Amino acid sequence: MTGKAASYVKKVSSLSIDEIKKKEERTFQYWGPTPDEARKAAVAKKKGLHDKRTTIKEAVAKYVKDGINLGIGGFVNTRVPVAIIHEIVRQGARDLTLSFQSNSICCELLAGAMIVNPNHVSIKRVELAWWGYEVIGIAPLLRYLAGNSMIQLDDYTNYGMSARFKAGAMGIPFIPTRDHGGSDMELVNRGRMIECPFTKKNVYLVSACHPDVGIVHVPAADKYGNARIFGALCTCPEIAQAASHTIMTTEQIIPTESIRQYPNLTEIPWVCVDALIEQPFGGYPGAVYGYYWFDMPEFLSFRSICDEFRKTGNKDKLKEWYDKYIFGCETFDDFMATRPYSKIKQLRQMDQGQPIIV
Amino acid sequence: MPEYGPFEMIAYTGSRVLEDESIVFVGTGLPIIAAMHAQLTHAPSLNMIFEAGSVAAILEQGMPLSVGDTRAFRKACFAKGLCGAFELTQRGYADYAFIGGAQVDMFGNICSTYEGGTYSKPRVRFPGSGGAGAMAANCEKTIAIMALEARRFVPKVEFITSIGFGDGSPEYREKAGVMGSGPYRVITNQALFGFDEKTRRMTLLEVLPGKTAADIQELVSFELIISPDLKDMREPSEEDLALLRNVCDPDGYFLKRKVAK
Repeated sequence: MTGKAASYVKKVSSLSIDEIKKKEERTFQYWGPTPDEARKAAVAKKKGLHDKRTTIKEAVAKYVKDGINLGIGGFVNTRVPVAIIHEIVRQGARDLTLSFQSNSICCELLAGAMIVNPNHVSIKRVELAWWGYEVIGIAPLLRYLAGNSMIQLDDYTNYGMSARFKAGAMGIPFIPTRDHGGSDMELVNRGRMIECPFTKKNVYLVSACHPDVGIVHVPAADKYGNARIFGALCTCPEIAQAASHTIMTTEQIIPTESIRQYPNLTEIPWVCVDALIEQPFGGYPGAVYGYYWFDMPEFLSFRSICDEFRKTGNKDKLKEWYDKYIFGCETFDDFMATRPYSKIKQLRQMDQGQPIIV
Repeated sequence: MPEYGPFEMIAYTGSRVLEDESIVFVGTGLPIIAAMHAQLTHAPSLNMIFEAGSVAAILEQGMPLSVGDTRAFRKACFAKGLCGAFELTQRGYADYAFIGGAQVDMFGNICSTYEGGTYSKPRVRFPGSGGAGAMAANCEKTIAIMALEARRFVPKVEFITSIGFGDGSPEYREKAGVMGSGPYRVITNQALFGFDEKTRRMTLLEVLPGKTAADIQELVSFELIISPDLKDMREPSEEDLALLRNVCDPDGYFLKRKVAK
């Protein structure tokens, strides 16, 4: 059994031949470090247990450059690395490639910054499974950027993107998956159908994804970056291990004695982490299991500003939001200081004390 | 018969379709509600997988508003990440995929990537596959929830996000390298569909009491197979509605939505 299974052969969907040709005419490229480059980055690191604590400002200045592949941790509205995204927007980064499985506010924040000033922040392309707000609605700025062909998208499933980070984390150049085949993703994304040398049946390969910089927000880590995660692991361990460099924010720093007492609880080992910042509420307005639930009104309010821009083309309100909450703030703590204590208290209560071990 | 809304009928029908002693991989909203209702009634040994990595949670904090909601991990038996959830599925431990979409064709192929325009320049770009493409590929049976409208039940979807039976040929899914057996049910508020074993085409199994097969065909842009054993959809009892309204979705996030005209 060989070749394509999908709708190109049988013309099941109305996907145009022009779109299919684009994949066929393209030679494969990693949209970030190749496996060899990622390996070199890992080998070059000092491997000792060193205090990685720094500020988000310094970490972003050191690692986030124009043209990099930025791997974004979390999942939709959960444990999303918002504090780091704010700083990236503040400092600016152009021609970014974004890689993630499913995200909401992080990519919308970058997209909004691009709309406000494309000379300061810009997204060139995105390898993803899903970009939206779930119950809150579809993402207006994705709709705007995609509808105007301002970004290139490369679509996978949530498992496909997770498996790609996993392949990167495993140090292998690709990984076979049992999905994408027979869907139109087979015809447009950068994966390949092959005949398995063992079963002689078709199997779909997706390439490893190595971000230049992985950004993750975790519940707890020691000062070296050994991280514990409660609730959904999302794909954070894989992203941190696949990335050439990882910036990690944590709700709290915990003693190394605790890490060494329960080493099975460490989901990300120190050696994968380059910069660590204790940043309470670093995932706000997303949720962090054991700490706070997500802030629905905040999501709704930011989304409505973005949707208004999409509908009217008027960026005044969007610009005002960024001027006030990103460029008008020196740090993420300054941003959080604009949110009332009553709200913070309520979000903590809504978590209902999910059990964690710190 | 008690009065009920369209989404209540969908959730109730979804619950009926799920068998006990199985695992259902749920998407946000009605699938979670349907699975909760099934657990409380005929399927106490049904368990849910949430794609962020939770298996067999006890949803005592109320319905999660998203599949990554921290509440979806409450008292789970197994909590990992996306790889954990999807690898259990790929291995064969998820019986049902419970997904939605914007368009479906007669072979159960579903589009949830864009509508109008082209892939490179879509008129309306949707979020993308998310978990749906992987669920439709590798859960054993796929259940889809759709709004019954002619513009959604189409001869050709614009983009296959979630694989069904492809062109209907018997070997399509095997050639695609996917593991699950494919489309099983499509649930709407006015009709329940299955798939014909021989032709793999969508088949009308049940209609809302008072509706006819012709009424349903009018809302579908391809030719349906009508089951020779066409039945009325079972309606929810007062008890079922009380569970749905008071226990499963007490805030009415999904059940009280209005149907878009």
